[in-house]
Amino acid sequence: MDFAGSTVVEDLSFDVRRGETFGFLGSNGSGKTTTLRALLGIYLPTAGVLHIDGRPFTPEAGSRLGYLPEERGLYKKESVLTVMTYFGQLKGLSKKAAVSWSMNYLARVGLEDKAKARVDNLSGGQQQKVQLGVTIMNDPELLILDEPTKGFDPVNRRLLMDIMEEQKRAGATVLMVTHQMEEVERLCDRVILLKGGRAEAYGTIPEVQNQYGGTMIRIGYSGDIPDSPHYDISVRDRNYAELTLTGTGTKTVDEALILRDLVDAGVLVRSFTTSKLSLEEIFVSVYGEQNEMVGA
Amino acid sequence: MATALGGTIITDDAAAIAAVKSGDGDAHFVYPADPAKTATQVYGVDKGLFGNGEYDGVATQVLSISAQDQIGDPALTALAQGNISVTSTTFTDGEETAGFMGMIPPLIFVAIFFLVFMLLSNQMLTSTLEEKENRVTEMILTTLNPTALISGKIISLFIVGFVQVLVFLVPVLVAYVFFRTPLNLPEIDLSSFTFDPVQMIIGALLALGGFALFTGTLVAIGAVMPTAKDAGSWFSALIVLMIVPLYALSLVMSDPNSPVVQMFTYFPYSAPITAMLRNAFGSLAGWEAAIVITELFLLSAIVLQLAVRLFRYGSIEYTNKVSFKTVFSRPKAVGVGRR
Repeated sequence: MDFAGSTVVEDLSFDVRRGETFGFLGSNGSGKTTTLRALLGIYLPTAGVLHIDGRPFTPEAGSRLGYLPEERGLYKKESVLTVMTYFGQLKGLSKKAAVSWSMNYLARVGLEDKAKARVDNLSGGQQQKVQLGVTIMNDPELLILDEPTKGFDPVNRRLLMDIMEEQKRAGATVLMVTHQMEEVERLCDRVILLKGGRAEAYGTIPEVQNQYGGTMIRIGYSGDIPDSPHYDISVRDRNYAELTLTGTGTKTVDEALILRDLVDAGVLVRSFTTSKLSLEEIFVSVYGEQNEMVGA
Repeated sequence: MATALGGTIITDDAAAIAAVKSGDGDAHFVYPADPAKTATQVYGVDKGLFGNGEYDGVATQVLSISAQDQIGDPALTALAQGNISVTSTTFTDGEETAGFMGMIPPLIFVAIFFLVFMLLSNQMLTSTLEEKENRVTEMILTTLNPTALISGKIISLFIVGFVQVLVFLVPVLVAYVFFRTPLNLPEIDLSSFTFDPVQMIIGALLALGGFALFTGTLVAIGAVMPTAKDAGSWFSALIVLMIVPLYALSLVMSDPNSPVVQMFTYFPYSAPITAMLRNAFGSLAGWEAAIVITELFLLSAIVLQLAVRLFRYGSIEYTNKVSFKTVFSRPKAVGVGRR
């Protein structure tokens, strides 16, 4: 994808499997929203193909798609029911079915008495609930959520998570862009990390952790820990240190070798535990240098 | 003659003027030897802004009656006063032209064009701004083809325009047909109007093409501007372009082949009004009408495509004004669902 002469997304290839929850990760400006917009045909890519269910996306296929864009909005001067019915009809529901679905949803989220209220008379949290309802109308087979918890209060965030779980149990595929790494670790089956419009890492969370070396060694010790090309010393206190292995994937050095090197160097090792890097730690290590960038 | 009308001949002007000043005399009229070349002077007691006009009337009346008296023949007097009627019959290509009464019906399209545009222009401008200002464009675009969306908006504007014209015309027609006498409305003799079917069709097509062009343009402007306020300056420029031919109306009527009128005729945004006026005045040749109508509809189609493209990219730049350079540097579809 090129914009005004600059390449925003390049050489990117990934697939999302039916029924899985897929995390689309990256710092601001890494090309996530642009890729989603290209996927949905809002932007037209310079080259390449983006398929949903084996075919290029068309608005006609959008009837079973639930899209929560990063930029949230509803027709503010219309009533809640009018807005929901309108979007329901756009998604192929009859007016009667759209009204019925909307009323059921509003009752579920405690807004049944607001059906005839204008959207701009609702609180921010209530508008979020309506927005969420519009997104999941017609029980979408594919949910594309661009920063779904952005701006959501904790109550609505919980509601969103519940709805995502429900949709997933019903067989929906979920593609979500987020910066909330704990949500990713909790919800996503697989992820892709974008950097500069390219895939930095791609796979299941353990695979990504392995791709990044991802192993941290915490040791209690006495003596001097020598420098080594096999690890970075991220924390070094008098009797405690954290070592991050520097290799990636198959190039990772075996933890036993590190232990032997330490012992050979005269370090008295009292404790030696290994753990994987969290996604957040990986995210920080990947994007730490460019986290001031803006605009996806 | 002045004596016969109740006046008195006075030779001493200074004394007469003094009498008027003191209020002893009402007015003193000084007629020169040759009133056609030298002004008649009147000195009178002030009767206020409107009352003072009577002095001019009396002075002119005295001269007019004197002249009629000199002619002595009422028929010659009437001719001298220009009280004659002239009936003109003119021909174009061997056919009798309709004259003034033939101009009125095609001018109705100018009125309709203005009326509809003035009533709907704001809706045209805000029709896409609504999606943008409410930030719902992305959700809309995942369920609706942008061409269908823009076309639907334009068609709905056409329908609204038609309904608005009906809303204005139906009460007038009902009042005229059923309540003309109680409302004391003047009787209009429709048989005196000449309806040239070709002129009427051309007028209708020009109005329709012009409406399509202006609607598409305003929709396109709405697609790239973040708010209605930002779109205002473009809107004003468009209005100026539309009505500028009216400032050259006398030239349009008297010299339709002048370069200015020709430019207004073919420049797309001044073309509808200019061509409709020339069509009504009978100075728009058939081939000129064909060119202008083709131009308007062709450009409307191009502007519609442009509006769709601008909407696609412009309307998701929710807070930014989108430059044409940015829009046209966006790629064309390659192997992706094209809309």
